[in-house]
Amino acid sequence: MSSKSDVKGFYRQKKKSGGITKPVAGKSAKASPSLAKHAATFGSNVVQPPALVTHGGALDLKDNYDGSEEVLRQFDMNMAYGPCIGMSRVARWERASKLGLNPPGDVGMLLKSGKVGGESLWDGRV
Amino acid sequence: MAVMEEEQSDIERKQSLYNSMDEEFKIQKEMYRGQQYSQIYFARLHLMRTLLYSLVPTWKPHLPVCTVLGLEGDKECVIVGTLYKHMKLKPCVLDEYSKERSVTPLVQPHNFVHSDDYLILEDESGRVKLSGTTLSPSFYVTGIVVALHGKETGAGDFLVEDVLEAGLPPQLDPPNKLGEDKYVVFVSGLNLGSSSSNPLQVQLLVDHITGHLGDEKEQNNAAQIVQVVIAGDSVEIPRELLNGQNLAPKDQSRLSEPIKEVDILLTQIAASIPLDIMPGPNDPSNFAMPQQPLHRCLFPSSASYNTFKSCTNPHSFELDGVRFLGTSGQNIHDFEKYSEGSEEVEFLERTLKWRHIAPTAPNTLGCYPFTDRDPFFVESCPHVYFAGNQNKFGTRLITGSDGQVVRLISIPRFSKTGTAVMLNMRNLECHALSFGTEFSL
Repeated sequence: MSSKSDVKGFYRQKKKSGGITKPVAGKSAKASPSLAKHAATFGSNVVQPPALVTHGGALDLKDNYDGSEEVLRQFDMNMAYGPCIGMSRVARWERASKLGLNPPGDVGMLLKSGKVGGESLWDGRV
Repeated sequence: MAVMEEEQSDIERKQSLYNSMDEEFKIQKEMYRGQQYSQIYFARLHLMRTLLYSLVPTWKPHLPVCTVLGLEGDKECVIVGTLYKHMKLKPCVLDEYSKERSVTPLVQPHNFVHSDDYLILEDESGRVKLSGTTLSPSFYVTGIVVALHGKETGAGDFLVEDVLEAGLPPQLDPPNKLGEDKYVVFVSGLNLGSSSSNPLQVQLLVDHITGHLGDEKEQNNAAQIVQVVIAGDSVEIPRELLNGQNLAPKDQSRLSEPIKEVDILLTQIAASIPLDIMPGPNDPSNFAMPQQPLHRCLFPSSASYNTFKSCTNPHSFELDGVRFLGTSGQNIHDFEKYSEGSEEVEFLERTLKWRHIAPTAPNTLGCYPFTDRDPFFVESCPHVYFAGNQNKFGTRLITGSDGQVVRLISIPRFSKTGTAVMLNMRNLECHALSFGTEFSL
C-alpha cells in the first residue's frame, strides 16, 4: 500500500485561496473527491469518507445490481437455454431464439437496449 | 507432291458449374471467449431433438414423450437424448493418477471395444443407463442423438424396446439427368515426402488426368474428367525434425521439400483441370475439426491458377447440381476405434443415417468449441458422401425412405494402394483407377 506522502505527491494539492493557475485549482478540486473515494485503501486522515456511506447508512456492496440485472441473472441460470459460460448474453439469447426455444421477449428488449451488463453472471469469475 | 494433311482435332475437356458450400466450416469469424464443449453438445441436442420430436408422432403415436428426469417407473414412454458410451478400455487420463494399479485388460490392436461397454442416454435434465438387448453398444458411439422407446425398470435403468434414428436428411434436387458422362476424380493419401510414396505412380496419375498419357481413346476418357478432389494427407513431413529443437538450415529445407513437391504436382493438375485440395491429419493445417484451408502461400505456383481451390475439411460443394460432402477420414478413423463394423463404407452409412458427420467430436475427436451451431450436422442430404485416407477402396449406393439416393465412397490411401477413384456424375457409378509400376516378368 502506498503511504500518504506518495499519494500527496501524486495528487498535487494547492491551497484553494489565491489559486495561481485555474487548471491546477481544477485538478486539486478533482483530486479531493477521488482521494476521498479511495480513502479506505490509501489511509487518509478522513474518518468517514462520504462516498462509502450511502443508501441511508447501508454499505454500498452491490455495484449496478438492480431489478433488470436480476431478471438477466435468472435468464443466465435458466437451464432450458443451455450453458451460459463463455457466451455473451445477447449471443445466448439469439441462439435460444434460433433453436426455437422462445426466450422471454422482455429479456431480449433489455439486452438490445444496451443499458445492462452484456456478460453473463459468471463472466470473469470462473 | 500431294501433302497428306492429317486433321488434328483438339479434344476439349468438359466443364461443370462449381459451387462451394464450405462457409459453415470456416472459423474466421468465431472468437474464443472461454466457452466449453457443453455449448456444442447443447446445440447438437436441440437441433436433433426438434427433428426427432417431429418424427416421433409417426413412429409411436400413442406414447408420451418425456425428459429423463420425468421418467416414471414402469410407464412406457419415449425419451430423446445424447448417447454416451461408457467404455472400459478407453484410455482415460485419470488412470494415471488412480491409486490402485489394477491389471488393465489387454487392448485389441484396432479398437477399444469391449463386451462390457454400456450406453447411457443423457439430456439436460439427467442421464439414465440403458439396458436390454435392442441396442448393441458396439454399434453406437458417444455423441449421437436418438429417440428411445421403453420404460424404466425397478433397478433404475431404462429398458429399451425400440430405437429411432434421425434417418437420411431430405435431398434437395435429384441429380440432374445429364446426357453426357462427366467424371470426378478423388484421390487421397499421396503422402509425398514419405518413404512409401512412389513418385512414378503419382506422376502417372497426374499425366493420366491431364491427358498426357495414352492413345486417343484414353485421352477422350480423360477429357471427361471435370474435377479433381484431393482428400487430405498430401504431404508427410519428416517427424523426427519436429522435436522442438532448433533446425539447422539444411534440415529446414528438408522440412519444406514435401510441400514443394506437392506444389509442382498441383501446378500440373491446376493448369488443365479444376482442383480442390483438402487438409488431412498430417497436413500443415490446424488439428481440430473443422480443419481450415491450407494457406495459399504454401503453393506459390499452383495458387496463381483460378482452377486451384484450397478447401476446408469437411468439404461440401456442388457440381452441376450434384451435391458432394466428404472428409479426409479423421471422423471415420475415430469411429472405427470406438465401435465395430465390417468395412469403412458401413461407418459412412451410419454417420449419414444419424445425420451427423463426426459424432465422436468433441469427445475423442478434436473439435472447435462452437457455441451456437454444430456444423457437422447434415441438413441436406448429399448425392455423394466420401471419406479419404481409408485402408481400401469401397463403395455403396444407399437409398432413403424419401427416395434419397447417396453414393458412399471410401477413398484408399494412394501411397499404399496406388488407387484413385473415379465417379461418373451422370449415374453415380464409381470405379477404381489404379496405377502400378511393378512389372512381374
